[in-house]
Amino acid sequence: MTETPSFSLISTNKIIQMNDVWTSYDSKSFALSGVNLSIDRGTNYAIVGQSGSGKSTLLKLMNGMMIPSKGTIKMDYQTPNMNNKTFKKMMHTIGYIPQSLGLVKNISVLDNILIGALPRLSTMQSILKQFPEHEIQEAKRILKLVGLSGKESRKAYMISGGEKRRVAIARALMQKPTILLADEIVSELDHVTAREIMDLILDAQKKMNLTAIMVHHDMALALEYANRVAVMKEGKKILEIGVEGDSIVDFQAGDMGIEEIMEMYNTDAKE
Amino acid sequence: MGLVIVASYNVDANPVDFAEGMPNLGIIISEIFVLESLIDDLKYIPTALWAMLETLQMAFIGTVIGVTIGLPLSMLAARNLNSKFVYAPTRALLAIIRTFPSILWALLFVIMVGLGPYAGVLAIVMYTIGFVTKLQYESIETIDSDPMDAVSSIGVSKFQLIRYVVLPESASHLLGQILYMFDYNVRQTSILGIVGAGGIGFFIINYIKFFEYGKAAIFMLIVLITVLAIDWISVKVRDKYIIKSQHGMEVKTK
Ligand SMILES: Nc1ncnc2c1ncn2[C@@H]1O[C@H](COP(=O)(O)OP(=O)(O)OP(=O)(O)O)[C@@H](O)[C@H]1O
Ligand SMILES: [Mg+2]
Repeated sequence: MTETPSFSLISTNKIIQMNDVWTSYDSKSFALSGVNLSIDRGTNYAIVGQSGSGKSTLLKLMNGMMIPSKGTIKMDYQTPNMNNKTFKKMMHTIGYIPQSLGLVKNISVLDNILIGALPRLSTMQSILKQFPEHEIQEAKRILKLVGLSGKESRKAYMISGGEKRRVAIARALMQKPTILLADEIVSELDHVTAREIMDLILDAQKKMNLTAIMVHHDMALALEYANRVAVMKEGKKILEIGVEGDSIVDFQAGDMGIEEIMEMYNTDAKE
Repeated sequence: MGLVIVASYNVDANPVDFAEGMPNLGIIISEIFVLESLIDDLKYIPTALWAMLETLQMAFIGTVIGVTIGLPLSMLAARNLNSKFVYAPTRALLAIIRTFPSILWALLFVIMVGLGPYAGVLAIVMYTIGFVTKLQYESIETIDSDPMDAVSSIGVSKFQLIRYVVLPESASHLLGQILYMFDYNVRQTSILGIVGAGGIGFFIINYIKFFEYGKAAIFMLIVLITVLAIDWISVKVRDKYIIKSQHGMEVKTK
């Protein structure tokens, strides 16, 4: 599992690096076993793979919600750990959208978005819920951007599944992120809505110089939107593909034979 | 059933005593309804109302102060918000406070600060802290972990997490419990007078001591009516505001 150069030699600006990362939830089995990753700043990186292959676990490691049992991770040269004060500062600008979205159900859509601005508030301002006017304007701008105009005062439990995803994206954008980690946020949506949301993220990414790491269910969608696609299987990265426009420019096979990989690609694309 | 018999034997509660006591109840009731004394007793209704008002005030102040102190303690006792080093000692402290029934707290405070409503309020405060915190930290622990994790991952402070996730997501439960606590405290405060800690119970126990059952009955009736009224109001409030918002909480993102 050597990191084949071609792409990585050109740019030395690595924002995320994982080196032989192992991790487990219990003592019985490993959720990840020996993952190597290296992601350039500004990349749109996609992770695909079967259910249970460790995609969500990868994202949780990147924002320090989990800690590897072996190996090293660097996020912009810092080791992720949510209990570490310095890394907590970095978490302010890592927009993480979990698979479950994690909206606060009993507050309004606008308040959910404003949560993304909390790190920029003083303790007193946040207790009194006094967001500065420019933050409220920014939240309203993002609200419009994600297509939620008119829904701002709805309670978060009173909107549709697609709208919930938009709120979660808006909350992450409100963080003024440098890195976006999104876990299957378009998987359950129809194709039109899924593309609408992907275009939205791509647009924000270009404007904000974001590095986006997105877990996808659909290989075709991943190839369409990402610069690089990593394929996971049983806790291992078995393949990484570089994409430019419509063509595959770089192909790094890991543990698997090419036939097995093509077979997997076909089944994933069909779904 | 067997347990009841064994327990009664232990406390010397003989069914024969109870049966022999029954005629006494008859005498008490007949005394209450002697006409001229009944009219005389009715003059005490204003006094009874004032005593009830004092009881309500005590229960209200005690509940408000108790909850004000209790809520931050519940936050410290919740396992999903703190490390073991914080929640374990807090829980131990609360468990100790909870072992005392309110009447014992009242007795303790009567000894410390003297007779009167002040001791009663302090007793209600202590009882409320012990009791309401347990209900509250348990409902805080049932909050959905998804929004907690998602908002924590932004790197917000503990205060911000409580203000923007914990309180909104548990508010309806917490309010329901506070209402229930007030309801319960009104009943409790009504009997604290027995040990001299103020409120309407003080009158009742003294009338009974001096065999003025008619007057005692008037006071008890006022307690009964008040408690029923508060019960009814809190059911209405709960139905209107709390049940409704809990209904919303069941609509989950999945
Ligand atoms: N909270 C948890 N406790 C125990 N085991 C877990 C937990 N979360 C995930 N796992 C296990 O870790 C492995 C990887 O899980 P992960 O959630 O990363 O998969 P995934 O690729 O995101 O799957 P999906 O596509 O279904 O979301 C699985 O075997 C899973 O059973
Ligand atoms: Mg997952």
